[in-house]
Amino acid sequence: MSALAIGGIVGIVTLALLATGIPVAFGLALVSIGFLLYFEGTSSLSILAETFFGSLNDFTLVSIPMFILMGAAVASSPAGKDLYAALDRWLHRVPGGLIISNLGACAVFAALSGSSPATCAAIGKMGIPEMRQRGYPAGLATGAIAAGGTLGILIPPSITMIVYGVATETSIGRLFIAGLVPGLMLTALFMAWSLYIAWRKGYSLLDRATTYTLRDRLVILPKVLPFLAIIAGILYVLYGGLATPSEAAGVGALFCILLVAVIYRIRDLHTISQILRDSMRESVMILMIIGASALFSYMLSSLFVTQSVAGWIAGLDVNRWVVMAMINVFLLVAGFFLPPVAVILMTAPILLPIVEQAGFDPYWFAVVFTINMEIGLITPPVGLNLYVINGISPDVSLPTILKGALPFMLCMVLGIVLLCLIPGIATWLPTLLMGPAL
Amino acid sequence: MDSFIDSIRRLSQTCGIVAALLIAAAVVVVCEMVVIRYFLRASTVWQTEFVTYSLIGATFIGSPYVALIRGHVNVELLPVYLGGRARLALGLFCAAAAFGLSVVLAWTGFGLLAEAWVGGWRTDTIWALPLWIPYLALPVGMALMALQYAAEILCLATGRSQPFGLSEDRD
Repeated sequence: MSALAIGGIVGIVTLALLATGIPVAFGLALVSIGFLLYFEGTSSLSILAETFFGSLNDFTLVSIPMFILMGAAVASSPAGKDLYAALDRWLHRVPGGLIISNLGACAVFAALSGSSPATCAAIGKMGIPEMRQRGYPAGLATGAIAAGGTLGILIPPSITMIVYGVATETSIGRLFIAGLVPGLMLTALFMAWSLYIAWRKGYSLLDRATTYTLRDRLVILPKVLPFLAIIAGILYVLYGGLATPSEAAGVGALFCILLVAVIYRIRDLHTISQILRDSMRESVMILMIIGASALFSYMLSSLFVTQSVAGWIAGLDVNRWVVMAMINVFLLVAGFFLPPVAVILMTAPILLPIVEQAGFDPYWFAVVFTINMEIGLITPPVGLNLYVINGISPDVSLPTILKGALPFMLCMVLGIVLLCLIPGIATWLPTLLMGPAL
Repeated sequence: MDSFIDSIRRLSQTCGIVAALLIAAAVVVVCEMVVIRYFLRASTVWQTEFVTYSLIGATFIGSPYVALIRGHVNVELLPVYLGGRARLALGLFCAAAAFGLSVVLAWTGFGLLAEAWVGGWRTDTIWALPLWIPYLALPVGMALMALQYAAEILCLATGRSQPFGLSEDRD
């Protein structure tokens, strides 16, 4: 049987097994073990433990639980609410300030928490009722927050980007910087769409009922600025190459825990153990998928699947943009069903050689990849953010949220198109700060 | 049988506590390492390895607990769509497959542990930690996860828990 045919069978078996509802990590490990046993016999079992252990034996991975802990600490506090309130107080004189505040708060909170569902929950709890109270339709309010939440995996620091970096052996600091401008671009696109809709449908863009004094505006700053300083500090340390991502993340996590303890007086043992437990659960889940996908990519390359797929695509002799379009469609569909981390770990080792062969920048591709994954977060059947929003505003039906989120999905597609037309959106800042990619 | 299932649950919960403490220890050591390296300008000896192995330990030891609370992410589309007996059959299949995988990983992990122990393997750093210590987490964690899935199979077969934790009213 040709390696390409084996690759096809591996793909089908993997999807069929994952469809049974088995945890993604175990499904990947089982498929890997099954194919290794079938093609290479029982002797192949001897490398299992070493491969699994070895894939996790990497100091870079330490940044994953650390950033998760940082996000969990912030998410356990009312920081999201204050962030939103601060932006609202400063921007409420600006036409459409409410929408800008909401999406802006999403972008900042996304950076802090690195988690899409946490962002939706933290900002949406306050932002959605506020927008609806001022007359914005439920679909627009919920759709905007669902989309704003997805920024969590693109705007640095992002767990998804770390996983991409680990899977493809690219620089995590550089990936973070590459995600920054596209993240802001998407935020701006989301804002532009919301403002356009609000303006066209004649919703009041100005809120004249409430006024905030200068004191109101200043008093909230000490609660918000320290968190912004942490994000800025992490990015500064990373792009300057002053410390490794794991060190930056560890210190960031400790600072966030201390800030939450000082500003919001969250010090009781129960909440702290809750934060630790939630972070542990999330980290274990991701690290197990990383271990299992190491087995998966070992299996694919020892059966020559990786190499022959790359060779096959190269031999197709089509325009590289056709290849990129095919990859995008593939990622989009994969993202509909699978969590971003799983898609990256399963496909990045196969896709990256193809992408690099076609002359694309791996950091630019990371951004395009991540935006595809963001779309998956607000599309059925798995779209996590839709369910989170449905959970915090139960009176808005799922179809209404979905309809509200649809235009934002198109904004993301537009974002991908813009990135294809102007790759510099992703590559300019990293090149400026860190020099050209090697 | 209830006492068996109950003791497995407690065992998995204990695993969760151990894993959470390992992560907490890792945070503290990373910060200590940053202070030593960047503020005291001294070199670190054991910290990098300690932190990495703590997290590997947390991953394997924490896995049974995450299995208990259904925290290992999965695609629930088909289970939600299917109801009744088909869902139960899928649930049993997944638990059995996870059980089998845990046994295989525990077994091969034990092989690695034995090799490291007999060969006196150490890490190739100044710290020279005996490798069986970090390796221990793999067979122990996976064996406990096998027990957790054995308990899950029993719970499903006797109707003590719902497949995939989905309540019937979501049908």
